Amino acid sequence: MQFSVYRYHPEVDDRPYLQDYEIVPRPGDVMVLDALFRIKEQDPTLSFRRSCREGVCGSDAMNINGRNGLACIVPLSVLKEPVVIRPLPHYPVIRDLIVDLTQFFEQYRSIKPYLINNHPAPDRERLQSPEERARLDGLYDCILCACCTTFCPSYWWNPEKFLGPAVLLQACRFLEDSRDEATEERLAALDDVYKLFRCRAIMNCTDICPKGLDPAQAISVIRQTMVKKSV
Amino acid sequence: MKGPLTGLRAWLTQRVTAVYLAGFTLFLLAHLLWDTPASFDVWRNWVLSPGVRVTMGLFFIALLLHAWVGVRDVILDYVNSLTMRVSLLTILASGLLASGVWLVEILLVHP
Repeated sequence: MQFSVYRYHPEVDDRPYLQDYEIVPRPGDVMVLDALFRIKEQDPTLSFRRSCREGVCGSDAMNINGRNGLACIVPLSVLKEPVVIRPLPHYPVIRDLIVDLTQFFEQYRSIKPYLINNHPAPDRERLQSPEERARLDGLYDCILCACCTTFCPSYWWNPEKFLGPAVLLQACRFLEDSRDEATEERLAALDDVYKLFRCRAIMNCTDICPKGLDPAQAISVIRQTMVKKSV
Repeated sequence: MKGPLTGLRAWLTQRVTAVYLAGFTLFLLAHLLWDTPASFDVWRNWVLSPGVRVTMGLFFIALLLHAWVGVRDVILDYVNSLTMRVSLLTILASGLLASGVWLVEILLVHP
């Protein structure tokens, strides 16, 4: 199989380049991550992040044939050759396929991704009905891989100010949590020209999410909640 | 800058004005097809009749607001230099306000 992989070592290279590789997949090599390991056997200098190899940690998020995805769950069989593998778009490249996600996580921290409840903790849990718990489905299961955020054109044009779909999905997760009491403050924090409202419902995020989540819908829920609270 | 038209208000304004703009456009098209004015004077009298004058005035106010939010969004997305941004937003605001003044003149002052 033919591959074209983005290479860049800041201490050695003047500029990034695409390096071609040809590998022979062995039986059991099903996903892009397997192919990357074959490539690394040929060229040990290739660097990429990976951990769980089953699509739950989000470490190996990268751009494969123009679409973001988790290398460990993108099957080789559906890919047109040469398979072009690049890092996540629009983030600074640390080396090869490894990007700097500092800004992503700073934006995540900025929405206060923790339960805010000033009542004293009960003896056991803060109770929730099954219906209340169901409102968190599709929101809590984000693995923060950044595939959606780095695929959003609006995020490309304003990465420092627009929070991006992943962070907004997490904001929605806390807004929808019945145990959280800081709803007003959370909504007020999002009500400015940039943080949420750069979203144009382009819906690249929902299209690309490797876990099948719907950030566009979550953003829409936040907008509806804002309207309900203010009108 | 937390002006009067930021965030939620701008988004809501854009959508509410869109509904009114769509509705009035359909009404206008229907009138032109059904009751095609025979001459300029017939058209003029229709436009200046109280109901049409008010709803058309509202149409253009909605249009100015809708245009402001829409074009401002485009400028905020693509123009990053502060000088360019302030200049373009000023030109946009002036253009829209000038249109507003002209609208008042046409419908109210010198019909």
